[in-house]
Amino acid sequence: MRRTLSLLRIALRNVLRNRRRTLITLAALLVGVSVMVSVRGVLNGLQSALVENVVKGQTGALQVHRKGYRQNVLASPLTLDFESEPIAEKARAVPGVQAVAPRIAFGGMLAVGDETIFLFNQAIDPAAELKVCPKRGAAMHDAGKFFGAGGIEQVADAVLVTGELEKALRPAMAKTKDPAALLAPDRDGALSGENATIVGKVDLSGPGDRKLGIVRLDVAQRLLKMEGRVTELAVAVDDLSRLEQTKAALQQALGEGYEVHTWEEIASFVVDIRNMQNALLSLVAAVFMLLMLLGVANTMLMSVLDRTREIGTMMAVGVRRQTIVALFLMEAGFIGALGGSLGGALGWGLSSWLSADGISLRLPTSDVPYVIHPFVPVQYLAAVVAIAATGAVLFALYPAWRASRLRPVEALAGG
Amino acid sequence: MALLQLRGIEKSYELGKTVVTALRGVDLEVEAGEFTVVMGPSGSGKTTLLNIIGCLDRPTGGSYVLDGEAIGDRDFNDLADIRNRKIGFIFQNFNLIPVLSVRENIEFPCVIRGEGGAELNQRVEAIARDVGLTDFLHHKPDELSGGQRQRVAIARALVTGPQLVLADEPTANLDSKTSDQIIDLMLALNRDKGVTFLFSTHDPRVMEHARRVVSIHDGVIVDGTAAAAADVARMHGAGTSFLLPYDAAERR
Repeated sequence: MRRTLSLLRIALRNVLRNRRRTLITLAALLVGVSVMVSVRGVLNGLQSALVENVVKGQTGALQVHRKGYRQNVLASPLTLDFESEPIAEKARAVPGVQAVAPRIAFGGMLAVGDETIFLFNQAIDPAAELKVCPKRGAAMHDAGKFFGAGGIEQVADAVLVTGELEKALRPAMAKTKDPAALLAPDRDGALSGENATIVGKVDLSGPGDRKLGIVRLDVAQRLLKMEGRVTELAVAVDDLSRLEQTKAALQQALGEGYEVHTWEEIASFVVDIRNMQNALLSLVAAVFMLLMLLGVANTMLMSVLDRTREIGTMMAVGVRRQTIVALFLMEAGFIGALGGSLGGALGWGLSSWLSADGISLRLPTSDVPYVIHPFVPVQYLAAVVAIAATGAVLFALYPAWRASRLRPVEALAGG
Repeated sequence: MALLQLRGIEKSYELGKTVVTALRGVDLEVEAGEFTVVMGPSGSGKTTLLNIIGCLDRPTGGSYVLDGEAIGDRDFNDLADIRNRKIGFIFQNFNLIPVLSVRENIEFPCVIRGEGGAELNQRVEAIARDVGLTDFLHHKPDELSGGQRQRVAIARALVTGPQLVLADEPTANLDSKTSDQIIDLMLALNRDKGVTFLFSTHDPRVMEHARRVVSIHDGVIVDGTAAAAADVARMHGAGTSFLLPYDAAERR
C-alpha cells in the first residue's frame, strides 16, 4: 500500500514535471472530449425533440388495434375495427396509461370543384387527441377551426391537409364556392361522401405522408358508417421509460383479440434515424478518442526517452520491471482521467449553456422549427471519463513496456 | 569467506560484426569492511567490472558470489532484489530522482520494498545527519550543490544497510574541495560504520586515501603494488612517487 501510494505520488509529480508537454496533451484531450460530450448533448436534445414530436405530436406512446391490423396497415382495413368506448375504458384502467384517443385511418378522395385527389386520412377526436398528442397543434397551421382552440369557433366538417395537397387544390378552390367533398368507400365498400371544409395545413409527419388529411372523427364515422367504432386507439403513458411494462399490462388487459404496439414499432423511421445518428457519432467519437489516445501514447513515449537515465537509476536501486510499467501506466491514467474530466466538464458546461436558451432547429420530419435543449446524462459523462482514463492506460502499455525492458546499464548510460 | 568473489569473469560485446572484449578472466576478492579502489585508464574495463559486481550487467563467462549467494543466471527481478538488499550505488552524475525531495530520494530504495513509518523516518534522519544533510531533507535535488547531491546519493546508497557500496567515479563531477569532503565522508563511513566501498576512479586524490588499489588494464587485473603505483604515478605526472597505505598483498 505504501509502495503504491508512493508510486502514485511520483507518477503525479512526473505528470506535472514537463508542464508544457502535459498541457498540450491535456488540451488535446480537453478539446476532443468536450466536443464529443457537447455534440452528444446536442444530439440527445435533437433526438429527444424528435421522439417528443412523434410521441406527443403523432403516434402517441402506444397504439391499440385489432389483431392483424398492423400486418395490413397499408390497406387501412376498416373491417378490423372495434367498439371504441369499451376498449378505451379498459385501456384507461391500466396502470401507467394516462389518456386514450380514438382514431380511424382510411383512404379516400377529396373533391374540390372539378379537381379530385386521392389522400390518406386520419380521423381524430380533437378533444381526446390533444390529451394524448398535445403537440398536434404545433405541426399544424390555422388549426383553430379544427380544434376549436383559442376562442375560435370549431368548424364541424373541418379538414386539414398537407401543404402539397393544399397547393394542388388551391386553383380549384379559387374557382369554386361550393364546399369540398370527402369521398371514401365505407366499411361495406360502398362509396359515400361528406362535406369538408379545408381550414388549414398540417406538416409532414413522416415519409409517405405527403398526401395526408386530418379529419374529425365524427365526420369520418358518418362517412364510413362506423358510428361508435374506430380502427385505432392512441395511448399516452405516465412514464416513457416504463413503456414496455405498460405495453405488456395493456396487452394483458385487452386480450389476444387486440395488438398493442409502441411508438418505436410504429414510427420505426425515427428509430432508424436515431440509430444512424448514434452510429455516426460513435464512429466520429471513436476516431476522436483514438487520435487523443495516440497523443497520450506519444507523450508517454517521449517521457520514456527523456527519463531513460532515471529509469536506469530506479532499476539500480532495485525497482522491478512491473513497478516501472505500473509507474508509467499511472502517469497515463492521470493524464487520461484529468483530460477526460476537464473535457467532460467543459462539454457538459457547453451543453448546459446551449440548453438554457435552446437551439432552434428544423427537424427532418417537420416544416416548423423546433427548439431543442441539449443534455448529457451523468452516466455518459462517467463513461467518457472512464474510457479516456482506461484508454490512456491501454495506449501507454507499449511505452511502459519499453521502459521496463531497458537494460539497467544502457539506461544508466542514457539509452 | 570473502564478501565478494569473482572467478574468471569475462565480458564481451557485439558491436555490429565486431566482438569487443571488455573483461578477460577477472579474479577478485573483496572482504567485508574494505575500502578498495579499482583504477585503470579509460577503456580498461573498470566500469564494466563495477556494473557486473553491481548486478547491473551480466558477465559472458566466469562465476560471481556475493555475500555467499551465487549470482548466476538469475532473472531481472531477482537481480533487482539483490541490488536493493545488498548493494548501494553512487554514480558520477549523482542520478537522483528530480521529482523527489532529499528525504524521498534517500528513502526510495526502502519505500519500493514496502517499508515506511517512524522507523524508516528515524533511519533516514540518522543517515542524513551522518552525511550532513539534516537541513536539506525537504529540498529538491535541483536546489542543491553538486557536493550536496552526491551526499544524497551516498545516503540513498546506505539506507538499506547494504553489504557493498559501489561508487563509479563519484568525484569526477565535483571540484577538488568538495571531492575531498566526499572522500572524507566515505572514509569515515568505512572506518566508523564498517561500510564496504568499492570505487572506480581516475582521481589520484582518491588513491591517497585508498586502503587497497586494484589496477585493471585491457580487461585484466594487474596485481601488485608496482602496477598500481605506476598507475598512480602516471596520473600524478612523471617522476612523482607515491606510497599506498595498504595493498592487496599486505591485507592477505
